[in-house]
Amino acid sequence: MFSLLSDQVPLARRRQLLLLTILAQVLFIVAVAAAGYATTAYGRVITLRTTPIDPRDLLYGDYVTLNYSISQLPTNLWREPGPRPRRGDPVYVVLRPVGQAYEAVRVYAKKPNVPADQVVLRGWVADRWRRNLHIRYNLERYYVPEGTGQELERRGARKPLLVNISIAPWGQARITGVEIVAPDSLGAPRL
Amino acid sequence: MSRKLLETDGPEWVKKGIISPEQQRQLLELYPEDVRAIGLLPLLGSLLVGLSALSLVAANWQGLPEWIRIGLLLGGFLGAYASGEFFLRRGNSSVGIGLVGLGLILFGAAIILTGQMYQLIGYDVTGLVAWAVAGTLLTYLYRSRFLFVLTVVIGGVVQGYTTGQLGAFSYAAAVLTAGGLGYYWWRRPDVFLGGVLASGLLWQTGLLIGHLHAKITWFFVPAMLIYAAGDWQTDRPAGRALQGPPLITAFVFMLGLALYGEVGSYAGMLRPPLLAYLAALLVVFVISLAGKRTRDRMGSATDWLLLLPGFYLSGGLPLAIASLVVLYAYSGAVLWRAQVEQNPDRVTLGTILFILTTMVAYFKLTWEFMDKSLFFLCGGVLLLGLSWYLRRRNTRASSR
Repeated sequence: MFSLLSDQVPLARRRQLLLLTILAQVLFIVAVAAAGYATTAYGRVITLRTTPIDPRDLLYGDYVTLNYSISQLPTNLWREPGPRPRRGDPVYVVLRPVGQAYEAVRVYAKKPNVPADQVVLRGWVADRWRRNLHIRYNLERYYVPEGTGQELERRGARKPLLVNISIAPWGQARITGVEIVAPDSLGAPRL
Repeated sequence: MSRKLLETDGPEWVKKGIISPEQQRQLLELYPEDVRAIGLLPLLGSLLVGLSALSLVAANWQGLPEWIRIGLLLGGFLGAYASGEFFLRRGNSSVGIGLVGLGLILFGAAIILTGQMYQLIGYDVTGLVAWAVAGTLLTYLYRSRFLFVLTVVIGGVVQGYTTGQLGAFSYAAAVLTAGGLGYYWWRRPDVFLGGVLASGLLWQTGLLIGHLHAKITWFFVPAMLIYAAGDWQTDRPAGRALQGPPLITAFVFMLGLALYGEVGSYAGMLRPPLLAYLAALLVVFVISLAGKRTRDRMGSATDWLLLLPGFYLSGGLPLAIASLVVLYAYSGAVLWRAQVEQNPDRVTLGTILFILTTMVAYFKLTWEFMDKSLFFLCGGVLLLGLSWYLRRRNTRASSR
C-alpha cells in the first residue's frame, strides 16, 4: 500500500485498488446488516426487565439508556474458584425465566453448558463493589423510532420496561423490541 | 503568482513597459485556467434536488423496509464515489475530490445508521474504526490533501466518541492516524498537513491521558515525540509545521501554570513520579537531539527549554516563578535565535511571546501588592518601554 505514494504506480493498478477499497466498504455494510439480521433469524428470544431510572438520564437524543435487573448482580452468584473478576473482564451470566422476564442465577468466567430452559448471556464487568458486580451487556442502548422516546422515557421512569433480546447461537445479542408493561397487562403498546 | 493577478495587473505592466504584450501572453499560458466542467447554476440545481430527495428519505426512514434502507445507504456512498471519479476523469479535480469526500462521509453515516437499525452500535468500535481505515486508504489512493484532512478529523471524531461515550480508548484509531497518515506525511511532506496531523494526534493524546486518568504532564511525552518526528523530517518547513502544535500547547500550558499555579482541582494531577517522567522525557529529548544533529538543525534545540519541569516546585509563588523562568528562557531564546539568524518573522514571534510572558509575570507578581491605578500605570509604562526597546533592536537587526 505504501508504494502507492510513489508516482510510478500505473493508473490501472490504482483504479483496481480503488475498486477493491470501495467493494470492501460495501461488503462491510452488508456484513453488519447480515449479522444483525441473522441474530434475529437464528437467535433465541428472551425478555429482560429494566429497573426504573432517573428520568432525566434516560433519553439521550435518539436513544434511551436501559438499566436491567441483571445489570447489578450480587457477588455470591460468582461460581468460579479464585478471586472475583476485575473491571473489564468478560463474564457469562446464566439466566432462568422468572415470571415475565429472565433473571440471573449464576455467573461464570467461561461459557458453561446449561439446561434447555436456561440461557447464557455474555457481559463485561463494568465496575465492582464489595457485594455487587456491575455488568455491561452492550444492550444498554435502545435506538428509539422517531417520536416515541418521550413516551418510553415517561413510562420507563415509573415502571419497569420489558425488553426483548435475541441471542444468536454464536453469542451475539441484540434488542429486538421494547414493551411497556401496562398496569392491567391489557393492550400493552409495543414500540 | 496566480492567473488572477496576471489578468488584473498585467495590462498595467505592459503599459509601463515592464513586460511586452507577448510576454504577458506567455505568462498567462503558464497558469492555465481551471477546467470548469459545470457552471454554478446546474450545481445549485442538483444540490436542491439532492436535498429534496434527502428530506423525503429522512421523513419516511422508519417506514421503509430494511432492504430498501440498506440499498439507499449503499447507493448514497457508491453514487458519490462514482460521480467523484467521473469528474476527476474529466479533469475537474476539486469537484471530484469533494464528491469522493462526500462518499467517505456517507460511508460513515451508513455504518452508524445500519448499526442503529439493528441496535448493534453503541458499544462496538469496530465499525467506526472501519470508517477511519476507509479514509486512510482513499487518502493513499487519491493522494489528496483534502481527504487527508478529512481522515484526521474522522480519526478525532471516532476517538472522541469512543472515549466520551463508550469509556474506552481505541488504540487502533490512534495507531491508524499516527502510522497510516503519519507515514503519508513522512513521504509527502507538506506544511499545512503537518499542522493538521500534529493537531489531530495531540487531540487523541489528550483523550488518552484523560481516559487513563494519568497526570496531565504525561501529555508532553507523546507530544514531544511528535515534535521529535519533525526533527527527523528532511523537509524543513514541513517538519517545523509538525512541531508547531506541540510547542504551542507546551507554551500555553506553562502560561496557564504561571497564571493559575496551584489553584483549582488539578494541582494533584500535575506531578508524575519524578524519575519515571524525567527518564521518559529524556529518551524523547535524545531522539529529538539526534534528529536535529543528523539534519543539522541544532539551533532549534532551545525549543526544549519549554519542557523544563519547573512544575515540580510546590506551593503557589515558587511554582509561578518557576513557570515564568521557563517562559522567559524560551521566549528569550526565540528572540536570540531571531537575532542570530536575522529572521524578521521570528523576531515578531519572539517579541509577542516575550511581551505575553511579561504581562503574565507582571500580573501575577504585582496584582495583589499594588494600588490598582499604579498597577495599570506601571504596566502600561513597562509594555511601552519594552515594545520601544524590542522595536529598536528589531530595526538594528534588520539594518545590519
